[in-house]
Amino acid sequence: MTPEPIISARGVTRRFGGLVALDGVDLDVPPGIVQAIIGPNGSGKTTLLNALSGASHADAGSIRVGGQEIFRLKPHRIARLGLARTFQNIRIFDNLSVIENVKVAAACNSPTSLFNILTANVRHKLSESDIDRNAREALDIVGLVRRAEDRATQLPYAQQRLLEIARALASKPKVLLLDEPAAGMNMTESMTLLDTIAKLKSSGITILLVEHNVRLVMGISDRVTVLDFGKKIAEGTPSEVQRNPQVIEAYLGRRHRHA
Amino acid sequence: MGQLIVNGLALGSIYALVALGLLLIFNTVQIVNFAQGQLLMLGAFIGISCAVTHELPVAAAWAITMVAMALVGIVFMVLVYFPLRGRPAFLVILTTIAMGIVLENLALIIWGPLPVSLPSPIHGPPLRFAGVVISMHQLFIFCTLAVILLLQFLLLTKTRFGILMQATAQDLHTARLVGISVNRTIAVAFAFGAVLSGIAGLLVAPIFLAEPTMGGSLGLKGFVVSVIGGFGNLPGAVIGGLFLGLIETFGARYISSNFRDAYAFIVMIAVLIAWPRGLFGEKSSEKV
Amino acid sequence: MKIWPILAACGAVALAVPAIAQDGYIIQLLNIAILNAIVVIGLNFVTGWTGQINFGQAAFYGLGAYTTAIATKAGLPWITTPFLSALVVMAASLMLGLPTMRLRTYYLAMTTIGFGEIIRLIIVHWEPVTGGTSGLRAIPGISIFGFGPQGQVQHYYLLIAILALAILIAARIRHSTLGRAMIATKDSEIAAEQSGVDTVRTKLLAFMIGAVYAGLAGCLYASSIRFISPDSFSSIQAILLMTMLIVGGMGSIFGCVIGALALTILPEALRFLGQWYLVLYGLGVIGVIVLAPGGLASLASLLPLRRASVN
Repeated sequence: MTPEPIISARGVTRRFGGLVALDGVDLDVPPGIVQAIIGPNGSGKTTLLNALSGASHADAGSIRVGGQEIFRLKPHRIARLGLARTFQNIRIFDNLSVIENVKVAAACNSPTSLFNILTANVRHKLSESDIDRNAREALDIVGLVRRAEDRATQLPYAQQRLLEIARALASKPKVLLLDEPAAGMNMTESMTLLDTIAKLKSSGITILLVEHNVRLVMGISDRVTVLDFGKKIAEGTPSEVQRNPQVIEAYLGRRHRHA
Repeated sequence: MGQLIVNGLALGSIYALVALGLLLIFNTVQIVNFAQGQLLMLGAFIGISCAVTHELPVAAAWAITMVAMALVGIVFMVLVYFPLRGRPAFLVILTTIAMGIVLENLALIIWGPLPVSLPSPIHGPPLRFAGVVISMHQLFIFCTLAVILLLQFLLLTKTRFGILMQATAQDLHTARLVGISVNRTIAVAFAFGAVLSGIAGLLVAPIFLAEPTMGGSLGLKGFVVSVIGGFGNLPGAVIGGLFLGLIETFGARYISSNFRDAYAFIVMIAVLIAWPRGLFGEKSSEKV
Repeated sequence: MKIWPILAACGAVALAVPAIAQDGYIIQLLNIAILNAIVVIGLNFVTGWTGQINFGQAAFYGLGAYTTAIATKAGLPWITTPFLSALVVMAASLMLGLPTMRLRTYYLAMTTIGFGEIIRLIIVHWEPVTGGTSGLRAIPGISIFGFGPQGQVQHYYLLIAILALAILIAARIRHSTLGRAMIATKDSEIAAEQSGVDTVRTKLLAFMIGAVYAGLAGCLYASSIRFISPDSFSSIQAILLMTMLIVGGMGSIFGCVIGALALTILPEALRFLGQWYLVLYGLGVIGVIVLAPGGLASLASLLPLRRASVN
């Protein structure tokens, strides 16, 4: 018997003017696995991720996370329900230190009031120490603890990507969406990233990742979903997908047209 | 009633002209120039210097003002726009406001604080029908707006410059890569934007008199119009301008003339609450 | 913690000033500068940290001042006025903030300018209550159960203490969940949202806190300067407050104080320039924005760096 999927999306559709970027996509992600979404440029991968995380809402469809409907919920509500993400173009908080970047998300589920802050009462101190501990744990996972007090902008590019992952982890998500996490990384950095992803998977977090680099994805993914022109054209284990003639056509065909 | 409509439309035409000047600059570089009102004031005073101080014919004063304003627009671009490319919008807002302060106080030093009048370029007895009086100057304002609207429409849609401008607005880097002289396009936009506000100044001065501090409130009205019409939207700017002129005239007559300047803002806030991007929608897309 | 010696030095200078400057006029000017500093620290929550442009700060300043003046002139005890002023500006900031916090830059700039203009027009034309353009005079002074500061110097010490408190509270908020959420909202609204930050609530809170700072400063302004007029809270003042923030250094509490001090004292010191002062002021603002985007505070932080590179 297959377990209840942690993400269950039905008929997700997104239009930009006349262009249909997502055309009734269904997606089921079983808990605890690494699932990849691949597809040629402009196939709707990031649009799907944006629809799931609420960054740019879908026009129609249903999206459930852990059984709860999140369609058209505000992004911060979705984040608090246990769905965290990173961005294709890095979006760290430039004016905060490394640890403060992570603390923003670590505070996700410890609400605080202005009254508590102003009086610096016990509740405030407890929540701040909680946040600090969570943030340091998250930095430890990606190996950035030593740079905690630096300004986020002082980190080199690849480490800024890791910082985004740490920030996403600090909200203690059930599902982690990674949007092209290896973009701009060299070989060694990509390998470290793969190790981190494996570590996260073994800690029980479900990972959904969008990746342009198909070879990188195949090694770590349990399941692969292939999009083309906003439609799901294949789904299955990496080896199943690799043999699928439609997938080969989508990648090779496109390359021919470009050439 | 009919008289109020005519007066309101005449006032609204001037607001529309200010908004059209803003639009030209906004459509090219996505910058809102908060010194547009001070440019208007400058236009009025250059006209007055020519026509009143140096006693040139009014037509010559108009021609000189338009040329001078084109130069002012280019200087403005060099001083305010170039150093701030790619910087956050509120810094641009503050820089243009600071430029407005500079212009206003230079005008106070040069021309003094007293209000001055400028003759209208055309004379003649007012038209009357059904109890409504339309002065020649009002008629001239309507015609000027119509001509400028037509010219701007043709400029944006039918000429090479219009296409260059749109390309520049959509993607500056690509525009540059495909060999568009981006800087020249932007310079033309700034020059035209300044000329339009100069014309608005020449049209206002015969009705309300000109004084160095006149720009602030007229400039703000231009933005209110742009906001109501949706930034960068040509029909929106014109309809918004006329609409605002009517609201102010009727509000001053039937509600209270003390709060004349408040109606514009109340209408604007109401519009924004209902339509956060203006009645006619903003003509720019945001990338997520 | 090398910030403490600097703070102690600033405090010592601040406390010693009245002993050096005997002139009542200078102390009065400093009192206004301190009040402006409180207003600018309030503005920093909104613009410096949360990244929302706000030209309504002068109107909140004015609302606080007029509330206090009208209440005390009507015979209410002074001790009620800080609460009344805070309530009025909180209500006003909610009224303005709730519908507008989703608006983007230009729209927000225009809405806040419009709000300021509407408040100014009400003050100018509601003459029986506000005194119209000539303002309100002989406003009762600060008095807490019969005790209150007498003379400029005592007011100065009281205001310095309140400024210190305002700085302390601002610093505490900065290093809390709320402060981090504000800066996250400014740096990337979408990333903040996806990290669980309710950005609309954060902006609204920043806006309200900023308004309360301005409202309380207005309350103190009315009862320590004891004369108010619409000119002190016009849109020109709103632009001046924004300039103080940017010239001082956005996002830096220290910068807010420096900016407010500099731009309150400078026009008086350069009074001989007449109209030319405002021309230079405009050009100076452009100069700072173009050449030193971090404001005067960032110039100060360059100094130790240079020393380090020499060693």
